[in-house]
Amino acid sequence: MGKAILRRLALSLMVVWLVTVLVFISTEVLPGDALQVSLTADEAAQMSEADFTKRRAELGLDRPAPVRYFSWLANAARGDFGKTIIGREDVATVIGYPLRNSILLGLVTALVAIPIALAIGIAAAYWRGRWPDMMASSGAILGYSIPEFASGNFLVLCFAIWLPVFPAMITAFTRDAPSTLIAASFLPILTVVIGSIAHLVRLVRAGFIEALNSDYVERARLAGTSELQLVLRHALPASVIPALNSAALYVAGLLSGIIVVEKVFAYPGLGLVLIQAVEKREVAVVQAISLVAAVVVVSMNLLADAAVMALDPRARRR
Amino acid sequence: MALRIDKFALRKPAAILGLSLVAIHLILALFSPWIAPYDPTALVGGRAEAPGAEFLLGTDVLGRDYLSRLLYGGRMALIVTFTGVVAAVTIGSLLGVAAAYFGGVLDDVLMRICDIKLALPGILFVSLFITGFGESLMVLITLIGMIYFPGVIRIVRAQAMTQVNLGYVKAAQLRGESAPSVIAREILPNTLDVVYVEFAIRMSHAVLLLSTMSYLGLGLSPPTPDWGLMVSEGVGQISFAPWLVLFPAVFISTLVIGLNFGAEALANALGMDAARGYVGGV
Repeated sequence: MGKAILRRLALSLMVVWLVTVLVFISTEVLPGDALQVSLTADEAAQMSEADFTKRRAELGLDRPAPVRYFSWLANAARGDFGKTIIGREDVATVIGYPLRNSILLGLVTALVAIPIALAIGIAAAYWRGRWPDMMASSGAILGYSIPEFASGNFLVLCFAIWLPVFPAMITAFTRDAPSTLIAASFLPILTVVIGSIAHLVRLVRAGFIEALNSDYVERARLAGTSELQLVLRHALPASVIPALNSAALYVAGLLSGIIVVEKVFAYPGLGLVLIQAVEKREVAVVQAISLVAAVVVVSMNLLADAAVMALDPRARRR
Repeated sequence: MALRIDKFALRKPAAILGLSLVAIHLILALFSPWIAPYDPTALVGGRAEAPGAEFLLGTDVLGRDYLSRLLYGGRMALIVTFTGVVAAVTIGSLLGVAAAYFGGVLDDVLMRICDIKLALPGILFVSLFITGFGESLMVLITLIGMIYFPGVIRIVRAQAMTQVNLGYVKAAQLRGESAPSVIAREILPNTLDVVYVEFAIRMSHAVLLLSTMSYLGLGLSPPTPDWGLMVSEGVGQISFAPWLVLFPAVFISTLVIGLNFGAEALANALGMDAARGYVGGV
């Protein structure tokens, strides 16, 4: 088992490294270079060719691309993603608290969504072909067909305007305590939960049906095990495996959902920082956020792989 | 190869619902220049007028006819996503079959590309590239192609794996057919049912992604009519003109619901289980 985990770990590190190459190349193939991207048209018009050369040398842009890549990578590994163009702030400072807030939102959402998705998925599989299954399966398709910005704004309309029980916008500050942020975030959490349980429900349902049809569940049933025991002890552990195998997709979907609801509800997280950074062409910030997101997805996937190995002895030998 | 379509599966209520929604959206998008009562970018009425006889679905905050904008918005969304997804599915399925056929280094390289795609959510991938390139139509189409081809590789490769060792492939090799010919003329036709379903599912993802990017202000830019953009423009008026948010939201949702039910119907009709491995977000 240790060997299998190590192999996954090596593969994950390689994927993260490939992502850093992609992130670097995406700015390298730009028309112009990082200096031109960072200047407004007025600034660029005032600078002479000599000024350009001097600034390029200051920013280290005169060095060959591979050299710049490795120095950028070495700095990024230490958490130094450079400085923003406007304001000359450390990128790490700019994304620090928003990153914490987004992780907080993601964790709470996952903690709420996973048990609900398990319950619905199991119910749908247990009564497959009957009304609970029809409702769950149709509901799942609706859930992932309706974009989060639509369902989020619809919830605002229902619960902030027509029936004013929740605030339409988050009024909490970036550096507020986690409890303050979560207390103000009922609607954003609900929005991401609705969007993200749909995928899970379908995966859990598929896995559970497979488990219910298996010989060992049949054996347990013939041995006189109660239906509740059958569901919880025998079928449940096997049924979460397909869902765990899709953990990367789930986490990526969760991240996208969080970026969107942060915009809908003005939640002070990484999504808002990202949107502003793209608008202002803050390349370093977008690079840092992409890298952080990739590390989160890859490490969650690695954790899920470890969980699969713990649950399924066959996976340890692969 | 003739596809074995189980017509019975296409008569289920969910299939009928999905296929009719897609058909309605296709007709509206194709004929929007003739159906739309006004020019989608012309200021023709008062600001945020309620739906009524003159403007069936009201006007937006600048006084443009909302119905016309919604119709043209669908046209735009379908053109961009269709072009991008066709590119993604074509390239992805050829590469997927090639990966299964050749194996080795090519297979490894393509699988690592799939891993990168899995690690980086679509929104971030788009953000990364439009930070430098800006949000032109060509860039968006290219990005949609780039985002979806790795997923297609993975699915088509898995299907092609079941074919590469079969007799007809061996026979073609012994006849002296070249590798590109074996890939394109022998194996690819036998993966087509997977390719069609894959196309329908990627279309639904692409429509969601494009409208989400526009909503975030990172996709199509004004005054282009786009559903996501219209929702974000309408949010400021949500308390007194909620239809400005609701109508585009309903248009997007019905199209994506249609595509998803349609994809599932197609998968059922072709004897596949769409529930496994096909889900994925924007």
